[in-house]
Amino acid sequence: MLRSISVPPIFKFILRRMMGMLPILALVLVVTFLAAHALPGDPVQVMLSDHSANLQMALRLRAQYGLDQPLWRQFIAYAVGVLHGDFGLSFLQVGVPVTEVLREAVTISPLLALAALALALPLGTLAGVLAAVRRNTWVDHTIIVVLVAGLSIPNFAIATFLVYSFALKLEILPVAGWGSLEQAVLPVVVLAIPSAAYIARLARTFMLEALQQDYIRTARAKGLRERLVIGRHALRNIAVPLMTSAGVIFGGLVSNAFVVETIFNIPGLGRIAIDSIFARDYPVTMAIVVLFTVFFLFINLAVDFACVMIDPRLRARTLAS
Amino acid sequence: MVGGIVVACVLIVALIAPLIEPQPIGDTDLLNAWSPPSAGNLLGTDKLGRDTLSRLIAGTRNSLLIAGTVLAITLVVGSVLGMAAGFLGGRVDGILMRIVDAILAFPEVIIAVLLASILGPGITTVIVTLALSWWPGIARLTRSLVLVLREEPFIDAAVVSGTPTWRIFRWHLLPNIAAPLVVRASVGVGFIIMAEASLSFLGLGIQEPEASWGGMIRDGLPVLRSDPYLALFSSLALGVTIIGFNLLGDGLRDILDPRLESR
Repeated sequence: MLRSISVPPIFKFILRRMMGMLPILALVLVVTFLAAHALPGDPVQVMLSDHSANLQMALRLRAQYGLDQPLWRQFIAYAVGVLHGDFGLSFLQVGVPVTEVLREAVTISPLLALAALALALPLGTLAGVLAAVRRNTWVDHTIIVVLVAGLSIPNFAIATFLVYSFALKLEILPVAGWGSLEQAVLPVVVLAIPSAAYIARLARTFMLEALQQDYIRTARAKGLRERLVIGRHALRNIAVPLMTSAGVIFGGLVSNAFVVETIFNIPGLGRIAIDSIFARDYPVTMAIVVLFTVFFLFINLAVDFACVMIDPRLRARTLAS
Repeated sequence: MVGGIVVACVLIVALIAPLIEPQPIGDTDLLNAWSPPSAGNLLGTDKLGRDTLSRLIAGTRNSLLIAGTVLAITLVVGSVLGMAAGFLGGRVDGILMRIVDAILAFPEVIIAVLLASILGPGITTVIVTLALSWWPGIARLTRSLVLVLREEPFIDAAVVSGTPTWRIFRWHLLPNIAAPLVVRASVGVGFIIMAEASLSFLGLGIQEPEASWGGMIRDGLPVLRSDPYLALFSSLALGVTIIGFNLLGDGLRDILDPRLESR
């Protein structure tokens, strides 16, 4: 007789979600592989450039990159490599592993995004809650106008104006670059603006909804001070709907990070991705696509997990099924 | 109101663009490169001495053409797949909604990077990327509308009288969901224009010598210190246009369908 092992339901939940991610991961692996290996054009000829007549060198390169193998074998090598964190060799920098090309960039982009989020989250929540609490007053109207502007004006247009005013006219901040604290100010601010506006808009909507709930009326009826009603009762209840939007918020941050890195000449993943497209350095491009995919799958998993842990209603419903 | 006026102006400019461009957009004048606004070039010139005003006007046209194409594709694909998911239910629904969730969780710039390396940077890449990342929103809305409609007696009547499924889609479901779909789509135009400009700014979108707002801002940024006009004027054109479309979209939504919440 096999005794059934009791698994905590939360692990079952996580496991089920992780299984659900596998098809997406497999699809991305196939697409990125085909893009890097099955496109017309011979990378070896490009790598050889001046030595294109040197057959021996060509053979050696082909063997080094595994391009002499049949396609299916190349795919297996690629998939196994990716699972081990090995993305093969760069086409542009001959013989250099992709991981080496990306090593510094891999820490820059998340740092930039997290700094922007650390700025956008409190700022956006504060603005949204303030607008909701002061609904239909000049405070609310002003915040809404700023939000529409923040959401509507592309960040490279905002960056143009900010660089023009702060770096060129007032000369208090550097124009571009990466490495010092001053150089990080403008990129982080530019990156934070659309996210802060988006978070504020969500926070305002959710707050207006929360303020109409019965428990808010109860809290007020028992004579609780308004600051506690908002801070303790309403604020907690907008945390969950805000969390569920974290995927979209991170998506916006990444898209904007590509632009911000280009504007301010920051050697992050976004700029390397764009450069590698024009250099036809497929292994590098595809490695970045795979990295971002994995990152997003885990963000979504983490968000689902956090929501279930925070909201007792959701926890009961999810774990029962 | 303000949004409507801005959008009307932008549309007119886009429609009659070839008539009002002061100079052909490809005309170079290297001796007159980076000139500030003057009588000959009202908004100045770029690195090749091309007239900024003319290129802004041509950029308007390109921007709206792409937005229109993307909108048409997403509306057709999104509504058909959304109706299929909502009406047929079952396995079709399950698979389609999984795909929708997967795409919605994916930032469009990653799709753009993938496509740009396969198709090469250009207008096709922009249109395919944006269509690919925008149809799920439409499909999801269509599905939720159809789920409500499916319970209506006239749908039951059509089913029991043996109406083919495609006829139910075309003549029974579509007329009832068209209005909210168009509203939802109009809310999205501003964001499609912004996404197109971002991709062109990154160099993945519209290529030289064609004019695009995003590309013009990219050209202008490095010389912001000495010749700020190109970047500033194109940023202004882009910002005003997108704000106009967003205000119009929000207004339309409030008038036509107060229940519809933005994503």
